[in-house]
Amino acid sequence: MHDDHGHGHPHHDLDASSPEIRVEALEDLLVEKGLADRARIDATIQRYEHDIGPMIGAELVAHAWTDPALASRLLADADDVVAELGIRGAEIQHIEVKANTPGVHNVVVCTLCSCYPWALLGLPPNWYKSPEYRARVVREPRAVLAEMGLELEPDTEVHIWDSSSETRFLVLPERPAGTDGWPVERLAELVTRDSMIGVARAADPAGE
Amino acid sequence: MHPDAGEPSAADPNSVEPNSTWPGVHDLGGTHGWGSVPYESDEPPFHAAWERRVFGLLGAVTAASAQRPGEFRYALERLHPDDYFDHGYYGRWLAGFELLLAEYGVISPDEMASALNRGANRELQHRSSPIGRAAPTFARDPALLPPDVPVPPPQHRGVRRDLAPEPRFAVGDRVAAPAAPQPGHTRLPAYVVDKPGTVVKLHPAEVLPDSTAHDLGERPQHVYCVGYDAQTLWGDNAEPNTSVYVDLYECYLNPTNGAG
Repeated sequence: MHDDHGHGHPHHDLDASSPEIRVEALEDLLVEKGLADRARIDATIQRYEHDIGPMIGAELVAHAWTDPALASRLLADADDVVAELGIRGAEIQHIEVKANTPGVHNVVVCTLCSCYPWALLGLPPNWYKSPEYRARVVREPRAVLAEMGLELEPDTEVHIWDSSSETRFLVLPERPAGTDGWPVERLAELVTRDSMIGVARAADPAGE
Repeated sequence: MHPDAGEPSAADPNSVEPNSTWPGVHDLGGTHGWGSVPYESDEPPFHAAWERRVFGLLGAVTAASAQRPGEFRYALERLHPDDYFDHGYYGRWLAGFELLLAEYGVISPDEMASALNRGANRELQHRSSPIGRAAPTFARDPALLPPDVPVPPPQHRGVRRDLAPEPRFAVGDRVAAPAAPQPGHTRLPAYVVDKPGTVVKLHPAEVLPDSTAHDLGERPQHVYCVGYDAQTLWGDNAEPNTSVYVDLYECYLNPTNGAG
């Protein structure tokens, strides 16, 4: 919302190097020059705060859990499935889905910047964009995942996917036990964003 | 200095020398000295109102400046480490916006300074701006890039191209990427340089960001998903049963017999 960016109010505690001040100045200049429109800026923000988020990927995962044919198509050619379902938007020019199994755990990172499948998961969380995650998860994934609360068995294979081209990755987490017969909508509530990046499992149905 | 090149003290931005050429400030994979991941489950997309505004400006800024693939990323890679790290992801976007808008002649540093000055009750304590501290673009020698054989773009906008020539490598081939031949934008992470890996899949062909970011044509390339055993990358300290997969453009790669 435009209202909460504090436009027109003095920032007593901020100097000119603070991002609060600089983005306000930049926005004002772009608007004055006719290069930006505040209503469009607001609409973009709203879209990514409310309409484009992990629920899109979660629904896709829940469908795959209930439909083995869809799951195998998703793993073979996710682009086709994504297009069929009418999912469109930024940062999904080519999607690869990687399935977790009892023996294989997948994790996604972008070590060079913060590439992420926006149209499926929304904007990336801060930790995903942090230098700590980007630097460490390729070198010591088990240690990083353990710190984040996910312990893996020693004989589980860990596959790290570094998003260095325009391909974007989505992890298909394992379906939790005790969810037999659940409808897609209920299953989708168990599919967290972090489970689709690979740093968590899908939520425990008992804790629902 | 790249964090990996000296004492493991990269978490202290003062230890990072500005504007080093390669590996760049952004090339973080496998570097040492970082603490715990600032993990917060169910994190919201924005933590402060100013981050929302920065994100909201992306479309306007790129429409007025960087439109070629890789160009915006390259702007971020040229930032001073303080501007890259101090205010996180949207902080580096904002610094990159200022840099690009200045370089494209849309908003000069002087205009920005007077806009910063005119706010009410504001005492201007102007550090040098991100623009003043950023590295310029490198003049890149096109002869060191692969030949530019343009391919018509598909109907939709984007980086994918249907490339007629056969891919040089097939699934199962052993490959290695030597260091990039010249400074500038590349998607070759330093941690895989000279390491032997195995092609596990071909992705759709794409324009070459090493070229498009420098306005030297599309030079589309086949793109390979290359798998590396963690032991090959990190030696005896590697965690067991771990593989790292990196997507690499064909011109980065040579065949190799290297074990690992």
